[in-house]
Amino acid sequence: MAIIDDHLKVSDLRFRFAGQAADLFHVEHLTLSPGQTLGIRGASGAGKTTLLHCLAGIEPVNAGSIRWGGQEISSLSQSALTRWRQQHLGLVFQDFHLVEGLSALDNVLLPASFNAWRPASILRERADALLKRVDIWSPGRPAELLSRGERQRVAVARALLFEPRIVLADEPTASLDPENRNTVSRLLLDLAREHGATLIVISHDAALLEQLDGKLELRDGALHTLESAHV
Amino acid sequence: MFNPFPVVIADYRRNRLLVGITLALIAIAVAIGVAVIAQERALRQGSARAADDFDLLVGAPGSPTQLVLTSVYLKLQAIPLVSGKVLAATAGAPGVRYAAPIAFGDNHDGYPIVGTISDFASRGGELSPTAGRFFSKRGEAVVGAGVPLSIGAQIHPEHGQHHADEAEKRVHEHALSYTVVGRLPARYNVWDKAILVPVEDVWAVHDLPTGHEAGSVRIGPPWTLDLLPGVPAIAVKPESVGAAYALRGKFRSNDSMALFPAEVLNELYGTLGDVRDLMSLLALATQALVVLAVLLALLVGFLARARQFAVLRAIGASSAYVFCVIWLEVSVLIAGGAALGLALGYGASWALSGWIATRIGFTLPPSMGYEELLLAVSLAGIGLIIATLPALLSLRQPIAEGLKA
Repeated sequence: MAIIDDHLKVSDLRFRFAGQAADLFHVEHLTLSPGQTLGIRGASGAGKTTLLHCLAGIEPVNAGSIRWGGQEISSLSQSALTRWRQQHLGLVFQDFHLVEGLSALDNVLLPASFNAWRPASILRERADALLKRVDIWSPGRPAELLSRGERQRVAVARALLFEPRIVLADEPTASLDPENRNTVSRLLLDLAREHGATLIVISHDAALLEQLDGKLELRDGALHTLESAHV
Repeated sequence: MFNPFPVVIADYRRNRLLVGITLALIAIAVAIGVAVIAQERALRQGSARAADDFDLLVGAPGSPTQLVLTSVYLKLQAIPLVSGKVLAATAGAPGVRYAAPIAFGDNHDGYPIVGTISDFASRGGELSPTAGRFFSKRGEAVVGAGVPLSIGAQIHPEHGQHHADEAEKRVHEHALSYTVVGRLPARYNVWDKAILVPVEDVWAVHDLPTGHEAGSVRIGPPWTLDLLPGVPAIAVKPESVGAAYALRGKFRSNDSMALFPAEVLNELYGTLGDVRDLMSLLALATQALVVLAVLLALLVGFLARARQFAVLRAIGASSAYVFCVIWLEVSVLIAGGAALGLALGYGASWALSGWIATRIGFTLPPSMGYEELLLAVSLAGIGLIIATLPALLSLRQPIAEGLKA
């Protein structure tokens, strides 16, 4: 499964929850260029997270097409989707979702354990470097002893371990205080741009959205364009 | 190839108390079963070993079990005496290597004094003293390996339970003394705590004829029939298996009963085995309940961790990886608990054996048998199979649903 190019192309995407008559959303058309950054905002319950899950291949769609770099992900099997996510996708969650009981370094290296018994030394070096880059200087510290800001920074580092070309972040700064919000926003954007990754962020953080290439609003079941995204 | 252990170990680390309690519960459940099985075997082997020196027992008609308990295990109780006539008959019967009277009733510092002949003390020449020699005249004693008396020590018999008279007690304590002349090698049974003396002394101290003419200091057979008192038991050493059966038949009469202690023990073991089976069943039921309770608790825990597993899958873990995490977390706990229980059960059996030995006087050899291993391995195996249930259940939940949990 080769990535031909890193363009996101969404066509006639429809999603509805089981048992519901009406679509939660219908995205007629959405494309992103490689390395482009996009923010999506919307009212609570509009379907932002569900849309992100569809783009990540986590939520199956009812109709339509989602192509990442020419690869149609909506028709992939579960195991193929898992491999695709391992190789191409970095995910950042609102609540960090680090594994307590593991150190910061081991949390960053966790994805490496999904397909190898021991992480390769190059991955260890990359994890060390990422932690320093996100300003974590005690890599051996257990996750449960990190502050909220530190945990989210570790989560960002984990998402970037395999240098994914796609980074999806769901409200990455919502659980943070203003100072940490700014730090994490800056790091997420800087790292995504350094790696040339296409970044989609769900957020209500105006300061974060302001720094992105484009902004969309999910409202009344449709994406309403704001800037620099094709809808 | 993947490595689920980082997540497994992290979960154990995070829930140390719960892991410890779970391990302890499983271990205790297994240990109970192991201890029951091991202790029953130890009791059976220890008691059988104690009866090794008693090929054939002759006593007065009555309870065979009582005769065996009294004479083989020195559980001293008042039992009817078999007559001197029977003693003389057994001593003179064909096919008998020796017929040893076993007469008791006195003790020294709690160690029973048993009147017998030197043939019994030496087990027909099979034993040699580890110190000193066997008794050869009246007033001499040979002690078992567990009696804390040195060669040359003087002892005075204390009256047994049938001496209620103070005057008779004084006669006992002042009129007779024994000198220790030898020590027997360890037999690892209750006889290690016995003091063996010539049976004539025991008869004399109880104001009975000694089997010899008055004034005679002879010990051992041949005795004079008219002067031969009765004894609680006669330990007969046959010259052959055939002779043993013949003697058993010969001395089953209105005047006496004859038995192989092994026959009585087999009956006791049958009962013991039934009790063991029942207790094993109860222990197994306890283990099953504990494992079930543990699994239910773990299942509830895993359901509560649905989001954690969904996140793992969302960031690239395969369903096989998540399955292994859950299966390993349960399996390692159950297998670990079973292994710990095996060790704990063996340790408990070892400690119990020591404690019981001090109370009943013979050694219970604790050992690990295949039954205990089978118990632990079976429990672990069943646990490993049942562990697939929470693992499979967690996979049924879609990732998106788990992320919202």
